[in-house]
Amino acid sequence: MTTVASFRIEHTRYLDADGVPTQPLPDFANDPDALAAFYRAMVLTRAFDSKAVALQRTGKLGTFASSVGQEAVGVGLALAMRPEDALFPSYRDHAAQLLRGVTMTESLLYWGGDERGSCFAAAPHDFPNCVPIGTQLCHAAGAAYAFRLRREARVAVAIVGDGGTSKGDFYEAMNMAGVWQAPLVIIVNDNQWAISVPRERQSAAQTLAQKAIAAGIEGRQIDGNDVIAVHDAARTALAKARSGGGPTLIEALTYRLGDHTTADDATRYRDPELVAKMWQAEPIARLRKYLLSLGAWDKAREEQLMQDCQRSVEAAVQAYLAVEPPDVSAMFDHLYAALPHSLGEQLAMARQFAGGQENGHG
Amino acid sequence: MAEIALVEAVNLALAHALEHDPAVVLLGEDIGANGGVFRATLGLQARFGAERVLDTPLAEGGIAGAAIGMAAMGLHPVAEIQFTGFIYPIIDQVLNHAARLRHRTRGRLTCPLVIRSPCGAGIHAPEHHSESPEALFAHIPGLRVVMPSSPARAYGLLLAAIRDPDPVIFLEPTRLYRLFKQRVEDTGEALPLDTCFTLREGADVTLVSWGAMLQEVLMTADRLAEEGISAEVIDVATLKPLDIETILASVAKTGRCVIVHEAPRTCGLGAEIAAAIAERGLYSLLAPIERVTGYDVVVPLFRLETQYMPSVARIFRAVKKTLEAST
Amino acid sequence: MNIFKLPDLGEGLQEAEIVEWHVKSGDEVEVDQPLVSVETAKAIVDIPSPQAGRIAKLYGGKGDIVHLGAALVGFEGEGGQADTGTVVGRMETSERVVHEAAPLAPSTPLPGGGLSVGTTAVKATPAVRALARKLDIDLTMVMPTGPDGVVTSSDVERTAKLLTELGPPEALRGVRRAMAQNMAQAQSEVAAATVIDDADIDAWEAGADVTIRLIRALVAGCRAQPGLNAWFDGRSARRRVLAKIDVGIAVDLPDGLFVPVLRDVAHRDAADLRAGLDRMRADVRARKIPPEEMRGNSITLSNFGMIAGKYAAPVVVPPTVAILGAGRVHDAVVAHEGKPVVHAILPLSLTFDHRVVTGGEAARFLGAVIQDLESAV
Repeated sequence: MTTVASFRIEHTRYLDADGVPTQPLPDFANDPDALAAFYRAMVLTRAFDSKAVALQRTGKLGTFASSVGQEAVGVGLALAMRPEDALFPSYRDHAAQLLRGVTMTESLLYWGGDERGSCFAAAPHDFPNCVPIGTQLCHAAGAAYAFRLRREARVAVAIVGDGGTSKGDFYEAMNMAGVWQAPLVIIVNDNQWAISVPRERQSAAQTLAQKAIAAGIEGRQIDGNDVIAVHDAARTALAKARSGGGPTLIEALTYRLGDHTTADDATRYRDPELVAKMWQAEPIARLRKYLLSLGAWDKAREEQLMQDCQRSVEAAVQAYLAVEPPDVSAMFDHLYAALPHSLGEQLAMARQFAGGQENGHG
Repeated sequence: MAEIALVEAVNLALAHALEHDPAVVLLGEDIGANGGVFRATLGLQARFGAERVLDTPLAEGGIAGAAIGMAAMGLHPVAEIQFTGFIYPIIDQVLNHAARLRHRTRGRLTCPLVIRSPCGAGIHAPEHHSESPEALFAHIPGLRVVMPSSPARAYGLLLAAIRDPDPVIFLEPTRLYRLFKQRVEDTGEALPLDTCFTLREGADVTLVSWGAMLQEVLMTADRLAEEGISAEVIDVATLKPLDIETILASVAKTGRCVIVHEAPRTCGLGAEIAAAIAERGLYSLLAPIERVTGYDVVVPLFRLETQYMPSVARIFRAVKKTLEAST
Repeated sequence: MNIFKLPDLGEGLQEAEIVEWHVKSGDEVEVDQPLVSVETAKAIVDIPSPQAGRIAKLYGGKGDIVHLGAALVGFEGEGGQADTGTVVGRMETSERVVHEAAPLAPSTPLPGGGLSVGTTAVKATPAVRALARKLDIDLTMVMPTGPDGVVTSSDVERTAKLLTELGPPEALRGVRRAMAQNMAQAQSEVAAATVIDDADIDAWEAGADVTIRLIRALVAGCRAQPGLNAWFDGRSARRRVLAKIDVGIAVDLPDGLFVPVLRDVAHRDAADLRAGLDRMRADVRARKIPPEEMRGNSITLSNFGMIAGKYAAPVVVPPTVAILGAGRVHDAVVAHEGKPVVHAILPLSLTFDHRVVTGGEAARFLGAVIQDLESAV
């Protein structure tokens, strides 16, 4: 009997939970200004995120999926992408989206129940939030194929959660992209929880990165709370894809510090003390500690950043609240390129009954 | 210019599209080297290359999802699902994404794709190869569903579907693939979508159908003509959006309507057409509407196949019923 | 356990350091009682208790950082924060209990699954109905030849042709129309019953005035049973027994049935009655009779015997409750003191409204009528 295939999965981290380097940092990380940019982006994401949660609690936003604790995954990834690349997010990826040019107001409009929130003015190629779990991966594989067919130096980047790697679409997408050697990068935001199902009950695989082996593509694991590790892995994978080297699967280990959504109460199924412990490994504090240790950050800059974030978030919220609800005919707009004649009557009826609280919700 | 069969007309349309639109890409299982299990894509990979006529892994959901990604990035993909028995995994991607992408991004991203699949019973196939799923897809907002009934209409409607900026499910009746031939010119001229085709004019009864059943309907019309009964025959062709105006105008003229479809009766598209006539054409009716359909049973294996499908005898009887109730 | 999480501290603050706990596990606290002092980037604030209860557990110790939304204090008791019962959206919830009446049992399906329309309704498509309207055909008059009793358009056309050949129908007008309406209403309201008998008028003198004798006999009947001289309102079940006897006299003319009223017959002599009757008849024939003289009778007399016929069950028209029908006077063989003899017989039929008049009352009335008629003068 001979071994015909074997695999190894490497795990990479640069900063430990206390923000202390565990090995020499990649070049870009030796520039404190570059790191400060990561830091600012993560802080802004969290400020936006907690404001969104507060808006939901006061009835001004619908159900919202908080990304608290996972900011490094989106920030490290998005800052490695080019504008001509395309992002295929899940629904917890505001960190990446905000860096891709999606505005906070657009994001609030989406969660506030308005399709105009997905009409990104500044991210024309990116797909909107994706709710049917894992289906975005097949879209990304197809888009990657289109880039390859047209010999474009563009990469399709998809983000999926640990739960999503159990879906058929995940395997099908990886498998197709592997056969096509398509320029696809998949980031698994492994935050340990799929609503209430913990990682150990999601898959018997020791790592999620090794699922790449089944598709014949490269798979690696990183500390997802270390934005330097995320950015480094993303850069490498994107360069590889862009140069025709094929797809990469990156599993980013992180932790969902908040509830699944604002309608979920995670204390029903997980121990708050465990969560409190995981706060000690969170990405923003980690980078702050490192920057402080370099003398590249201080309390004054922190306060200034807080104020700036508050101002930006507040402005975005005001802009969102000022948007009038769409006209009832918006339901029929963009259903097809041109509304079929047969729908004209229905549109007329919708207009006729518009405005009144016909459905009884006062 | 030869007379060609329906499957050859599909091939002709695909070739024309690949030739004239560099964004057109075909993908599916066995469509490349093998030319498709029904030879619908015969010779196309050799002519246009393996990157534009792509043999995919075995993954229907993945194929549909990838086609969506391709379409959103500006390609015009035509994906083949090998048999409608295998089409159900794509409902997630089609319903949740293809049919919604334009709507939920307010037109920023669109999905100009075609998914083609052979459908229907009557070729003595194994289990699961005799499906008629058109009603499932027609129920999805934002989608188009098209079913040709002749080589000429297959050619013209497929070109129209490929050129349409929105997603189209193109169901090809397997029984008609090689059943008869017709003259088809490779002009690249598309036929209009969203409209019925009146194949025969008549005064006494309106026969409405689509796909392979039009064969039995036309045979019935011939038999009726021998008895002095003139039947108007309408091929719906685009099942969604439905051109109900043509059907209503015909029923206003004849006062009698028989709808024929192979798919099971309950919640088949015959019910939609009958309801629409009841809403807007009731006062023209001289007799209740008749539906001649597949029974509400699992399509039987082929030994009972012909007993399941609507026959000329059943259609004839239904027409007679409408006449007895009203003369 | 009911877990209380660190609430929004405002101003975008997302975490706070525990400075000092003011409670410990096992303590009973009240609403708003300060639980803990925490220090944020801005200030030290006290966090008040959201509820009354007993502390089960404290999360974190002095110096620990607590984050927005993280667990702070556990209270003893059931339920946790109000379980929204969903993970998306907002589900409307209430404690309202709904009581439903038991649903109707499913109706038995009709055998054969034919057109399931009520048995009295006409089965016809809208197009056929429109045709019938256009041709002015009553669908209930059309014999259906379609399957399952359906009226076809040719059925309608056939009926129209037939009726055209028969000529146009005559629309009822005036008195005949009124009679059609009144009799239909009477039929639907009244519970009619009839009692029949003969009066032996052999003792009468020649040339006796039959109508006047009948009127006098009616008076006798009313005196014996006043309940038959009454008005009855079936809807409110109220009866008004009338003191005055106003007799409606049925008069037959080519134009139809007229029922003028001879007033207060009980207090008029025969000559006055005869004069009044003649005047009334003349006025009716000349169509000069005022409408008020056709109303308000308390009982009715129908002397159809002047034409033909012995017995009848004439129609009681509300609000009256009785009508006496007099048949043709004729000779008949009767038993008299055990031997057959030929006497003049006056047949009598009394129809009464059994909602308000009993059989006994009617019989006694008739008996009194007969007794009066059978006296010589």
